[in-house]
Amino acid sequence: MRISSRRKAIAFFLTFGVCLAAVAFAVGSGWIILNWREGIKVFLGIIFFGAIITGLVLNTIFLVREIRRNEQHDSFINAVTHELKTPIASIRLYLETLQRREVDESQRREFYQSMLVDTERLMGTVEQVLKAGAMAQKKASGQRIPVDFNTVVRECVELARTRHHLLPENLDYRESLPQSGPQSGNARVLGDPDELHTAVTNLLDNAVKYSPGGVHIAVELDAPGEELLVLRVRDRGVGIPQNELKRIFKRFYRVRQRPRVRGTGLGLFIVRAIARNHGGRVFAQSEGSGKGTTVTLELPREVSRNTA
Amino acid sequence: MSRVLIVEDEAHLAQGLRFNLQAEGHAVEVAADGETALERLVEKKEPFDVVVLDVMLPGQSGFDVAALLREKKNYVPILMLTARGRPEDVLQGFASGADDYLPKPFELAILMARLESLLRRSMWMKDARMKDAGSASSGTTGTVRVGGQESGGDSFSFCGKSIDFAELELRTLGNTIHLTVMEAEFLRYLVRSEGRVVSRKAILEDVWGLREDTDTRAIDNFVVRLRRYIEEDPSQPKHLQTVRGVGYRFVAEPE
Repeated sequence: MRISSRRKAIAFFLTFGVCLAAVAFAVGSGWIILNWREGIKVFLGIIFFGAIITGLVLNTIFLVREIRRNEQHDSFINAVTHELKTPIASIRLYLETLQRREVDESQRREFYQSMLVDTERLMGTVEQVLKAGAMAQKKASGQRIPVDFNTVVRECVELARTRHHLLPENLDYRESLPQSGPQSGNARVLGDPDELHTAVTNLLDNAVKYSPGGVHIAVELDAPGEELLVLRVRDRGVGIPQNELKRIFKRFYRVRQRPRVRGTGLGLFIVRAIARNHGGRVFAQSEGSGKGTTVTLELPREVSRNTA
Repeated sequence: MSRVLIVEDEAHLAQGLRFNLQAEGHAVEVAADGETALERLVEKKEPFDVVVLDVMLPGQSGFDVAALLREKKNYVPILMLTARGRPEDVLQGFASGADDYLPKPFELAILMARLESLLRRSMWMKDARMKDAGSASSGTTGTVRVGGQESGGDSFSFCGKSIDFAELELRTLGNTIHLTVMEAEFLRYLVRSEGRVVSRKAILEDVWGLREDTDTRAIDNFVVRLRRYIEEDPSQPKHLQTVRGVGYRFVAEPE
């Protein structure tokens, strides 16, 4: 209901802006035709009306953008409310059940397990929101140490396997670092290990989350040049329409789809912020809806100097 | 023993609810999305005594599910359960056909009490219906009187229409419309203050128990529906009149 009224608002202001621009254009043309003999008047007229029309167009674009952003912000609040309240509701329900009823031992253990999982989910959401807030503020963090990216990815993959109950063949990790040459086996990145962990985990979680029909994820670490590390996370999930491939990295942006998938719209925003903090970049490729997605994270490699 | 359908995509919540309801001696089924719930309730016509319906479902929202059920003439009592607790959401829930609405996180005792009250009401309705069937239809037709008077039982008749608050039914000549609990409560409120103007704010406070800065326009949805039930021409309302800038007035017998 709210969204459709907002769509109406966008349509209205768009039409309004276009109409005003058209009027300004017509009046401007009239002015030029009437005064075409008088050079200075024509010249001033063109500049004057040109400025008005440009202003109107820019204003309209800005307005529509602002309305869109507002809409995304709203849906973010909704999603976060849901993500925070649902696990709390569940934990509370189990606690009250344990308090009020006779529960046998195996059932009790099951309840504890559910509560732990919910606590983790709650923690995940809170951390993501906090991290996104911090990311939006700082440009580049001070702490920079050499990190073995290969180990980071390996740990994240292990963690994802346990957390999502995946077999190694469903979440496959392959590194193809050059085994010879001066940089053989080196996958060092100068950066913050926690941030790199977060980035890789977010990518893996997304790949799992958007593979409703069965998880088949291939993770690949490659070093195509002397100075670059490339991590590819390829899934065979729902895919992304061409025109949304860039937008998914924006804050709060989520691809509209049904069935709806849990989330806040912050994960990829955080990944991009981390990639940029490390002097790298991240981008997504997809053949389209239903054809899977490949997200590529590129990071600059720390070139080992001869320490000898 | 009552049959309860839980429509909830969060497995943990559904599991916890199922445990508690079973402990109270109810038979519990769980549907993970709205489509499954609709299939079971509408297509397979499975009998349930009450439905616990989540709003944020993966496919169709709980609002859609409730509205569709009512559209298909399924009047099973619905308790809506949702993380969205803003007054607009509560009103939208009732407007879509829910009988009760509880924001998450909820207190277990409150949830159980509300479910029990919904079950109790449907029990009463069943009993009343059985009695009706036993004593032919004399009991119900007896209350229909022409004129705006509250008759002996929990019912009200006007201009050939009669509202049965206990059974949540509105009977017109040759037609019976089922009301949701909130529709019936709203009608009862209007009938009680017959002839007087009631403000939107007063309605929200007295019928829904909501306060302060609620968007009072949401009542208008209810009014539109009630008009469809009781007015001959809903666009030219005679009984349920709008008083501009103030609220509404119910008139049993317009001149």
